[in-house]
Amino acid sequence: MRKIIAVAVREYQAAVKTKAFLVMLVMMPVFMLGGIVFQMTMGKRVDTRDKRIAVVDCTGRLFDVLAQSAHERNTKHIFSGGTQIGPRFLLERVAPSCEDLDQVAFEMSQRVRNEAFYAFVIIPADVMTPRGTQGAPESEDDPVDDEFTGGPAAAGGVRYHSNTPTYGDVVRWLRPNVQAEIQRVRLTAAGIDPDVVETATAPVSVDNLGLVTRGQGGQIVQAQKADEIANFIAPFGLIMLMFLTVQVGAAPLISSVLEEKTQRIAEVLLGSVNPFSLMMGKLIGMVGVSLTLITIYLGGAYVAARRLGYGQYFPQHLVVWFAIETVLMVTLYGSIFIAIGSAVSDHREAQSMLMPAFIFLILPLMIWPTVVKEPLSPFSTFVSFIPPATPMLMTVRQAVPPGIPLWQPIVGAVLVLITTVGCVFLAGRIFRVGILMTGKGANLRQMLGWAFRG
Amino acid sequence: MTNDAIAIDNVSKTFGEHRAVDDLSLRVPEGSIYGFIGPNGSGKTTTLRMIMGIYYPDPGSGSIRVLGEALHGADNDAIGYLPEERGLYRKMKVRDLLRFYLELKGRREFKGPIDDWLARLDLTGWAHRKIQELSKGMAQKVQFISAVIHEPRLVILDEPFSGLDPVNADVIRDAIVDLRRKGTTVVFSTHDMSVAEKMCDYVFMIFKGRKVLDGTLDSIQRRYGHDTIRVRLDQNGAALNQLTGVERVTDFGRLQELRLADGADTQDVLTQLMQHGRVAHFEITQPSLHDIFVRIARPEPQETAGA
Repeated sequence: MRKIIAVAVREYQAAVKTKAFLVMLVMMPVFMLGGIVFQMTMGKRVDTRDKRIAVVDCTGRLFDVLAQSAHERNTKHIFSGGTQIGPRFLLERVAPSCEDLDQVAFEMSQRVRNEAFYAFVIIPADVMTPRGTQGAPESEDDPVDDEFTGGPAAAGGVRYHSNTPTYGDVVRWLRPNVQAEIQRVRLTAAGIDPDVVETATAPVSVDNLGLVTRGQGGQIVQAQKADEIANFIAPFGLIMLMFLTVQVGAAPLISSVLEEKTQRIAEVLLGSVNPFSLMMGKLIGMVGVSLTLITIYLGGAYVAARRLGYGQYFPQHLVVWFAIETVLMVTLYGSIFIAIGSAVSDHREAQSMLMPAFIFLILPLMIWPTVVKEPLSPFSTFVSFIPPATPMLMTVRQAVPPGIPLWQPIVGAVLVLITTVGCVFLAGRIFRVGILMTGKGANLRQMLGWAFRG
Repeated sequence: MTNDAIAIDNVSKTFGEHRAVDDLSLRVPEGSIYGFIGPNGSGKTTTLRMIMGIYYPDPGSGSIRVLGEALHGADNDAIGYLPEERGLYRKMKVRDLLRFYLELKGRREFKGPIDDWLARLDLTGWAHRKIQELSKGMAQKVQFISAVIHEPRLVILDEPFSGLDPVNADVIRDAIVDLRRKGTTVVFSTHDMSVAEKMCDYVFMIFKGRKVLDGTLDSIQRRYGHDTIRVRLDQNGAALNQLTGVERVTDFGRLQELRLADGADTQDVLTQLMQHGRVAHFEITQPSLHDIFVRIARPEPQETAGA
């Protein structure tokens, strides 16, 4: 046992007492936050050059309204704290004949190609009169979607033509303005006061709330308004942390075993400890690294959440479960990584062996959104009992209201434990053979052969 | 010396099609220095690894007993092992590494032995450097310390002198002799025949997996008789292989070694030599271990022609 501990301590120190570990520790949150900040700043990197848009208004009634709205936008809406964050839309009335709109569209297209305009809008004369087939409301849809659906433009509708169909801002601005004005005209024509309609159709809010509880004094405590984002952050943060811990805590075992193998350290070590103890020592060291990691990050997250006033979203009740699940998970993957490291002869070979292992690691990351939405559905319950996925998915299900019955994480943990013990046992047999092998690495079939035939 | 530190009986080891060790039997008496020689790839390292318990002999092929016990796995605190190549964590500091190896051997006292050995091999100033900062020779010395620091009863050294300059080689040699004086059994492999000649109580040669020599240097040389003449002529002795009664000439530059054919007369050879020039040195001797090694490992010209 003392030898196992000696190996574990060395493994732990070799992993933690490196600059790489410290850098990773600091850089990981910086990268994650930095990524978000970067995306946000990049999102603002828009082209603020003016966009000249030609309008062929065959109704003769819409241009002024649109120009008014564009002016308002150009002077107010595109400024944030004094800086311009969007381009100005400069509308220009062009008045060719409205006889042959296809011909007009072609001529205007040429002018866009010659860069006289950025885009043009054709408003047919009959757009004011309601039709059965036309005017189905789709205002909330992403305009980019129907830009890409292709096909000829619906007859009788307003047509926006440009050479850059991926730029949706003009349409996004144009659509509600055109619709509002046309609706106003139509309502007036029908003898209805548009203001009455506006009042009558004012939106009603629907709030997403948790359940109401009774406080200590017996009074009813109103449910908190469920902050959907905040509710997602806890489960997401936890499984990302698990994923990271496997990446940072367990994956280096491959390098460590490879070093021992290629530098012939293994021969010296095996003269002192048996292969299984050596492997156990390495696993225990790695569990230590993982616990260090989650302690630092969870501690940091807790302090940060409290400071920022999101303390109630920090899943305190899950910390112990999370630690158990994480330890099981890193041990499970750690033993697989050790087996791989011992069976291959260089990092390149290890990479190809890692693919199947990583698929199991990434799958939970892909299905967790489904699980978080309906944590109690039969599907979510089922997948959270599949051992390699259990730690991540069970944690997700525990992290979102209403929670799950206690027996589920217990049974899940037992299943993972059994799988882990099995994995460690089989990996030990691969390790025993592989660690002393020289030359070409083993393939998966040979590895399984060592594992099951002994 | 009643006990054998190592007793190997009829052991074979096969890798795939290749028989690395073939029906080997060997006795290493306790307290002796035993030299393993043989060309590259002849089975030295495989034999040492089997003694270590890193490799198992082919099933049913025989037995190996080390320090009186049949081997179960390689872990044995009474054995120290220096593998042929490296065997050190490159990123660890010398002192930490030695401490780790001592812990692995179940020892609880660290400072004394580590300080002693570092001082002895002139590494005290490097105690807090990482292995990767050391020269090859220094790393080799650290490797040696890690094999002997826990005072094992049996030390197995695979090429302990490779990569060492003469000064360091002497330091290691003294350390090995010192171990033997304290009763430790030392088995080492080497390509340096003069080292084997000078240091080893017994020499064992393996060639193509089979034992070809085993015994004290005297007994081995006796088998080959006094069939060697070392001679130095004042002028160049290029044409010496034309002499009758001389089977082979090894030209060392300043000195030539002549191997006599069976029944050749040394007086007759001397007479012929005197006709070639002034004889500055003439010595009738037993063949050197080097010569014996080469005789075994290098195919004779006629054999090559016949093959």
